[in-house]
Amino acid sequence: MTTSAPSKNYADDVSLLVVTLDTNPFFWSSFPFHFSEFLSQVLAFLNSILLLGQLNQVVVIATGCNSCSYVYDSASDKNHASTNGTMPAIYSNLLHNLDEFVAKDQQLTTPHHKPGTIPSSLLSGALSMALCYIQRAFRSGPMHPQPRILCLQGSTDGPEQYVAIMNAIFSAQRSVVPVDSCFIGSNNSAFLQQASYITGGIYYRPPQMEGLFQYLSTVFATDLHSREFLRLPKSLGVDFRASCFCHKQTIDMGYVCSVCLSIFCEHHDKCSTCR
Amino acid sequence: MPEVRIIAKNFMDMVASMPAIKLDKLYQNGFICEAILRSLPPLAKKYVLQLLHIDGPVPAKLLAEWVLPDGLSKHKVAIDRLVQLRVFVEAFDNRKNEKTYQVNSTYQKSLQNLLVHGGTLPRESMPSNITVRLPTLEDLETYALEQWECFLLQLISPSHVDKTLNISSSLMKVFQRRLLSQRDREAPKLTESGFQFLLWYIIREYITNSEERGVDAGDLISFMLELSFHVIGEAYNINTLTEFQRNIIKDLADLGLVKLQQGRKESWFIPTKLATNLSVSMTESSSRKEGFVVVETNFRVYAYSTSKLHCEILRLFSRVEYQLPNLIVGAITKESLYNAFDNGITADQIVSFLRQNAHPRVAQRVPAVPENVTDQIRLWESDLNRVEMTEAYYYDEFPSRDVFEGACDCAREWSGLLWEDSKKMHLVVKSEVHTYVRDFLRRQK
Repeated sequence: MTTSAPSKNYADDVSLLVVTLDTNPFFWSSFPFHFSEFLSQVLAFLNSILLLGQLNQVVVIATGCNSCSYVYDSASDKNHASTNGTMPAIYSNLLHNLDEFVAKDQQLTTPHHKPGTIPSSLLSGALSMALCYIQRAFRSGPMHPQPRILCLQGSTDGPEQYVAIMNAIFSAQRSVVPVDSCFIGSNNSAFLQQASYITGGIYYRPPQMEGLFQYLSTVFATDLHSREFLRLPKSLGVDFRASCFCHKQTIDMGYVCSVCLSIFCEHHDKCSTCR
Repeated sequence: MPEVRIIAKNFMDMVASMPAIKLDKLYQNGFICEAILRSLPPLAKKYVLQLLHIDGPVPAKLLAEWVLPDGLSKHKVAIDRLVQLRVFVEAFDNRKNEKTYQVNSTYQKSLQNLLVHGGTLPRESMPSNITVRLPTLEDLETYALEQWECFLLQLISPSHVDKTLNISSSLMKVFQRRLLSQRDREAPKLTESGFQFLLWYIIREYITNSEERGVDAGDLISFMLELSFHVIGEAYNINTLTEFQRNIIKDLADLGLVKLQQGRKESWFIPTKLATNLSVSMTESSSRKEGFVVVETNFRVYAYSTSKLHCEILRLFSRVEYQLPNLIVGAITKESLYNAFDNGITADQIVSFLRQNAHPRVAQRVPAVPENVTDQIRLWESDLNRVEMTEAYYYDEFPSRDVFEGACDCAREWSGLLWEDSKKMHLVVKSEVHTYVRDFLRRQK
């Protein structure tokens, strides 16, 4: 007796892409490639994601030095009204919100910032916000797009964020949300390499910034379903170094609590995390 | 030649079957390029995006290298589809002796434009001070459904309809003829909720019939695709349409795709969800509508619906016992099913209709429809298939056993042997094979 296969009510490649955009002004002021050019390539890429499917969704979170904020949500109703004929809605909305965010972020005081070093951007905050949005999408009903996170990052890692970022990474791994990273800074980012490795995403450093759109559309535009069939960049080595929990400094060797596995650089009688 | 068979099951297939010149003209419209892009298989979409900004031809081998060995079949399907739609232009590089692909230049330009500048509709929605009494989105959806059901009812049973539509009776006859003949050959599926699959059949008929009415199919398709990119619920002025487009809008209003409204000085049209779903493939259409059918293990069917159309559909295969203000009660019986099978509906269609339209209360149960009901439906269907008839010839009175054996072997070679009795030396062969066996026997004499 043949049974009919359940008809697919949802196409395979509907995606929800949450992008964290690094807006750290300290990084961009010293970077040879200009932020506006970077942004125009990213916007074209986001537009192409929306072009590929009517049900695709894009959310952009700006990662600043002191705060993070949602600057664009393609599923929001406010988008329709603002087409003014020369630019798509995504451009005008996003740019407006981004301006507001950068201005506000500058006004907030930096909590602790060592003189001589460039402050890092709040990647942990952005990842957490992304995961919250994705959880809400999961609960929106039986049919939901396949979510993934893309981190567009240039600033160096802030070791003080180690614990928060690792928690976010494991949470993403548990919810089966791949974290892709497109890192444009000078040295590799250990955090992002670990994130992509653990969650099954792609870590890639584009060799030429002028061709950023092409790299984004070749590597990062692939939906999760098609990734099983394509050859995508594999990372050669992942920097698994941790930061100690007491001083937030990167260490190679240290002490580990046998109960909760927290890492310390010097011997403690009582573990501060689990006592 | 690409090996993918085209069965025009949706808009895109129909576009693919148009001649090259018309297709190039269609591709000047950015919205059509977007609609085509969205209808491609996922791998094909990726290839288009990757090659979008590359001007020269790319060797086919390079494209194949991007895929892992498991994905080669999908790769082939994607490439075939792209060539079929003339999005990719296939060429042969004689110097390097290899096949190359390149994005169709018209398509490439339109899509690049769309990416950078965004798409602009040829008309803007009207300001709200003129458009008073704009219906809410829910009102619009109910209106669209009502219109569509009214149209369908008129198709299926013209006597039951309260209000008549503006569509010319000759056009209705064309629809009816095609619809009824479809049921014998392809047997349309009762699966998609609200009969939205029929929308495609009707639109297809409308388009193929357009040439006879003097309307260019290419222009019609491009107008409809353009319409699908308008915003639901927004009003657009009728005087932005050409004469040709105005005539089409009237027909579309009857089908429930747009709502026409009259202001004091101007009139406008409002696209409904049915219109915006035109370009979307069937799998993505909002088949998330709530189901309404509960099937119990005692073969009773309870449908929480007030729609006449749902009542008619249930009447097709079940015995509707009574109808309450919000509920239709019926039972699936052997007679009602035999009736349905006689009309060309298959058991699979009935089962998938019941499954897809299962009431949310039972939908989470696995299975949504009780197994004894589905099994019994299938068993009753196979009841009608107990006897199979094949035209055959019967041979008797063979002179000797050798001739009999020889004839059997001959029939077996042509795989036409249906039955033999070696003791009494009787033989039954298929009628196609009869000539060969007869010639063989003649040769023996």
